[in-house]
Amino acid sequence: MRALVLGRVAYRAINALVLFFLLAPLAVVVVFALNPTPFIQFPPIGVTSRWFAKFFASPDFMNSLALSLQVAAATVVLAMLVGASAALAIARGGLPGARLITALFLAPLMLPAILTGLALFQVVLSLGFGRPVWALVAGHTVVAVPYVIRTTLAVLADFDRRIEEAAASLGATPLRVFFEVTLPLIRPGVIAGGIFAFIVSFDQFPISLFLVAPNRETLPIVMFNYMKFDLDGTIAAASMVSILLALAVVLTIDRVVGLRATMKI
Amino acid sequence: MGEAGKGTTAVRMSPVAWLIAPAGLFFLVFFVLPFGVMALLSVLTGNPMQRPNVSFTTRHYERMADDSLYFESLASTLKIGAITTLATLILGYPIAHWLARIRSRAGHALLLMAVIAPMLTGIVVRTFAWMTILADKGVINSTLQGLGLTSAPLPLMYNEFGTTVALVHIYVPFMVLTLAGVIGGIDERLEEAVMSLGASPLRAFLEVTLPLSLPGIMAGSLLVFALAISAYVTPYLMGGQQVLTLPMLIYQQVAATFNTAFAGALGVLLLVVSIVLVIAYNRVLGRLTRREDLA
Repeated sequence: MRALVLGRVAYRAINALVLFFLLAPLAVVVVFALNPTPFIQFPPIGVTSRWFAKFFASPDFMNSLALSLQVAAATVVLAMLVGASAALAIARGGLPGARLITALFLAPLMLPAILTGLALFQVVLSLGFGRPVWALVAGHTVVAVPYVIRTTLAVLADFDRRIEEAAASLGATPLRVFFEVTLPLIRPGVIAGGIFAFIVSFDQFPISLFLVAPNRETLPIVMFNYMKFDLDGTIAAASMVSILLALAVVLTIDRVVGLRATMKI
Repeated sequence: MGEAGKGTTAVRMSPVAWLIAPAGLFFLVFFVLPFGVMALLSVLTGNPMQRPNVSFTTRHYERMADDSLYFESLASTLKIGAITTLATLILGYPIAHWLARIRSRAGHALLLMAVIAPMLTGIVVRTFAWMTILADKGVINSTLQGLGLTSAPLPLMYNEFGTTVALVHIYVPFMVLTLAGVIGGIDERLEEAVMSLGASPLRAFLEVTLPLSLPGIMAGSLLVFALAISAYVTPYLMGGQQVLTLPMLIYQQVAATFNTAFAGALGVLLLVVSIVLVIAYNRVLGRLTRREDLA
């Protein structure tokens, strides 16, 4: 009996420690974003908003934030269109070799993104395009599409195909079945995938590394370059903005489809 | 398979199959083709778009084989990847088990959020967080010195240790989510049956749950390993000059010497390792889904 209690206590304690390991770094960022000392200093000595003021007043950070948001918006639209239609084809098209096709479309999740960036960079460079924004969007979309495919497939796997068949047997044309039955049913999966696409693009580093042009860089790149030389509260403030965004995303996905359905890796 | 309908056994292609076209085209142009170009340029003497007469060469690969720097860098990349994978497995398993077995719905949702929130925070941000924790004037060293436990800061950062800690933090969620899916699929009644026969919970875990979760351990480890060996930001910022991984060398070739062909050759080396991992990962997952189909 005592061993049982001890075991349970150990189980809880280990899990609490791992949770602390996962979440404490995010809390630390918040501490430094609010701490007024010019360099990283612990324990904090007070609370200030000067780092947020500096972040929002810096043209470098603001221009890159604007670019990141624009690229992410374009990525979301593209990834949702391309990804959702691919998921429909995979789940409903009766394609031969569907498993292999799925593996190809999910490959960008596991292949080094830094190589996806390098390879795309070599193509646009060879063709003499320089480093255009559309190449950046294309690169981000390649790594965002797998998320949309996965969330849409998860929803498609869950819903009853007979609903579509019933609509068809009642005389609806295939087009009408698609727009009035299938599309509304997969919408939550597509939206969840789009939200993932947004965060994947907004946080994207390795692909952007090769494809951003000097003086027109995305936020993570600007932060990285800043961090090479200086670790002050501005980076903490920028990081906190990013963390708040991630939290908002998690809560939104949970609201829209439920996290459980979309988190099958 | 619930293939209701026309009574044909073969799966029929439907017009919906055409919806694969946009994604197929997009991936061909922006994913498959670029990797082909990268591989091709790595065996050419120059860029055929810019120079009229180029020929095949193995010089980039010879250079790689001649200089032990590249082999050492590959070895160090794989070593960091292996340690990271092992650590994420040890840290991730308990949380994954909890996530798979927790009964309360609200508890499950909260736990899932706690795992996913760090995952959705950018790598640059999380690396910054670890820099503030492990630096000489960071959270840990300041606390230790404030308490009088150490007189000089411990070397926690700008070395392999700091790099690995930050990488583990970044990849634990991937391990947890992969494992939780597999552990959740194991019938709890198996454990209960063993325990009703007198086995302790620990023994039931070691003899039932752990062996049955092995495919999850395999899949999660392959995933984390593949992600960890391609990391750039974290080894760069946390490793100081002590850690030189393959992705860092690849970018250096482009940024410092603009030798894109040689960067591509190093890329092919990393790509080959990754493709082996991807194939193994898909095999493990394929076997898993087939097992679920049978159950």
